[in-house]
Amino acid sequence: MIDRYLEALDLELIAVRIPRRLRRRILAESEDHLRSDDGALDRFGAPAEVANAFAAELGARASRRAAGGAFVALGVAGAVYAFSFVGASFAGHPPPDTWPLLAQLAFVAVIVAPQVSFVAGSLALVRALRRREPVLPSAELTVINRRTGIALVFGLVTMVALGMLAFELRNGSASWWVAFTLAGVAVAAPLLVLAALPAAVAARLRPRVAGAPGDLFDDLGFGRTDPWRFARRVAIGLGLVVFLVAAVQGDPFDGALNGTAETLACLAGFAAFGRYLGLRR
Amino acid sequence: MKGHVDLLLLSTLRAGPLHGYGVVEKLRGLSEGEFDLAEGTVYPALYRLEAAGLLSSSWTKTAGRRRRVYVLTKRGRGELAKGRDEWKTFAHAVEAVVT
Repeated sequence: MIDRYLEALDLELIAVRIPRRLRRRILAESEDHLRSDDGALDRFGAPAEVANAFAAELGARASRRAAGGAFVALGVAGAVYAFSFVGASFAGHPPPDTWPLLAQLAFVAVIVAPQVSFVAGSLALVRALRRREPVLPSAELTVINRRTGIALVFGLVTMVALGMLAFELRNGSASWWVAFTLAGVAVAAPLLVLAALPAAVAARLRPRVAGAPGDLFDDLGFGRTDPWRFARRVAIGLGLVVFLVAAVQGDPFDGALNGTAETLACLAGFAAFGRYLGLRR
Repeated sequence: MKGHVDLLLLSTLRAGPLHGYGVVEKLRGLSEGEFDLAEGTVYPALYRLEAAGLLSSSWTKTAGRRRRVYVLTKRGRGELAKGRDEWKTFAHAVEAVVT
């Protein structure tokens, strides 16, 4: 009976994707427990219930750790990006219309990807910090894992694009900028890949815990309203900031174009990722 | 019991190290059978407390059997003391209102 129970428990642990090493420990401890007295088998709980309890506890912790780790790695990538971006003003690039196609594509990615990465990474961390319970609904874990995953993927896209840009512009730019950017990318990109490992482990776990995920206002903790109305306000606000910065620098026409583009990109991002990242239900 | 699992589990280990079965036995004994739970679900909580640094565990061999023994860490003792104080204050307040 006990052997059959342990076989069933093993299958259930595999079904919820508990890693092999941990599975061995769980089975060994369970066997010891079950052989301790004659009634232990009846009191231990159904294999599916026990396996799910492990997945639920591990899942919440793994998702939180992955979000925290990703944020640290993204912080390093963000620092590389910021120094490279600011340094670019003094690096003397050739005019953009003479850039090779690859550099132009990389430039678009360098503008768009870090914004997605920063927003998704921040949201992952905020949700992970707000939900401190030992066990979280599966849907909530999915949201945290998606946010972490999107943040890391777009962070990696940013670093690769930044590296490509520096490489493609190496002949017409200051050598210190090229060297710094490539070295920074060489440090930050592996960190992002390393941070993706715990994120992958967290995303593999399959606990079944009922409950709905929160939305954007659970992250913010205030201002609950229609999510689209909120998104419009934020998008317009960001567009205005872009416009004002350009206007102060004496280029209001360019600022109006970029501000409009920022507003539209923000709304497009909300439409594309809003539900997937748990910003709206 | 939900919401107090951590404090209860830490309390069972106050007197000394125990294996998982011992923790469950002690929990049942001290509560006079009040905490009737699926015993297998205690282990995930023990793993969590260990991951949080409140418990440590190691394999031992007793009478030919391999058993994982749990012990409170220094941090776990601190957390237990804090939890006990909070519980006493809460229980005292509830008692004052209810009785």
